[in-house]
Amino acid sequence: MTRIKRGYIARRRRTKLRLFASSFRGAHSRLTRTMTQQRIRALVSAHRDRGKRKRDFRRLWITRINAVIHETGVFYSYNRFIHNLYKKQLLLNRKILAQIALLNRSCLYTISNEIKK
Amino acid sequence: MASSSVTLSLCSAFSTHCNVTSRRSSVILSSLSKPSLNLTKPVSGFLSPSTASTSRPAFPVAPKFAESVLEAEQETTDVEATVVSDVAEDKPKREEIFAVVMVGGRQYIVFPGRYLYTQRLKDASVNDQIVLNKVLLVGTKTHTYIGKPVVTNATVHAVVENQGLNDKVVVFKYKPKKKYRRNIGHRQPNTRIKITGITGYEEYPASPNVPV
Repeated sequence: MTRIKRGYIARRRRTKLRLFASSFRGAHSRLTRTMTQQRIRALVSAHRDRGKRKRDFRRLWITRINAVIHETGVFYSYNRFIHNLYKKQLLLNRKILAQIALLNRSCLYTISNEIKK
Repeated sequence: MASSSVTLSLCSAFSTHCNVTSRRSSVILSSLSKPSLNLTKPVSGFLSPSTASTSRPAFPVAPKFAESVLEAEQETTDVEATVVSDVAEDKPKREEIFAVVMVGGRQYIVFPGRYLYTQRLKDASVNDQIVLNKVLLVGTKTHTYIGKPVVTNATVHAVVENQGLNDKVVVFKYKPKKKYRRNIGHRQPNTRIKITGITGYEEYPASPNVPV
């Protein structure tokens, strides 16, 4: 076997790694071996949290809708609102309802009155 | 919170500022309904298949003002002159109306003159006129047209601007101590459409807006 020096193969790989970990704190952006580990952890967290993000935002929307709906009347809440929504066969999802609640609250009141009838 | 970065100001005056939403997931709520798009090509019209996505689509929905970009450019050239004239002139009036439309399994709040990113519309090419039929809600300054489930005969007209890909997402699967790791990159195809108008809702029973 001819002798082969490894040259810059490893260095090229590690520069990409360095770029990825460039915003990490302390040794996690300076030391190569810890950078590889932290990169793995970062990517795994990102993957897992992309799934969680969907859940988180749905929770946020529900909380927001609930807050606005409670102001609408006594003994009226998110669960009744959603129940009425389905009874009247509306298709608006929670994301849109939360946005409307945030920005155009009178529109949400209109919807909720319309549903209550 | 990411949601705090949403700064769409849909105040009761319907002022149209830049809409910056970092929301990246969409809700696949509608197993009930299938989105349908009409492509008005000169040769033939046909329904296009659509794909689904998460509660926050990987699209960064940042419907920007095409015009505000132009205004910014002008201001950088002539600062003094345009500052005075902007105050004096009215910004070009848009119809103060919005609609909630369902495209690609997701729902969007839509304004005429803005663009948004949707799932890739397979049979659309650039500069195609598109008609979106699933209009769930139309809101004007005084009235709201609430669809049960759809506002009948309401249509949103749009133009396909661009068929591209989302930013790359690295899907990294890893199991510690089991020598298992998979590194995959993914770019979701998307379509950028610009909304030109919202029509056809006038006949539908309207509900007057309740004052806040």
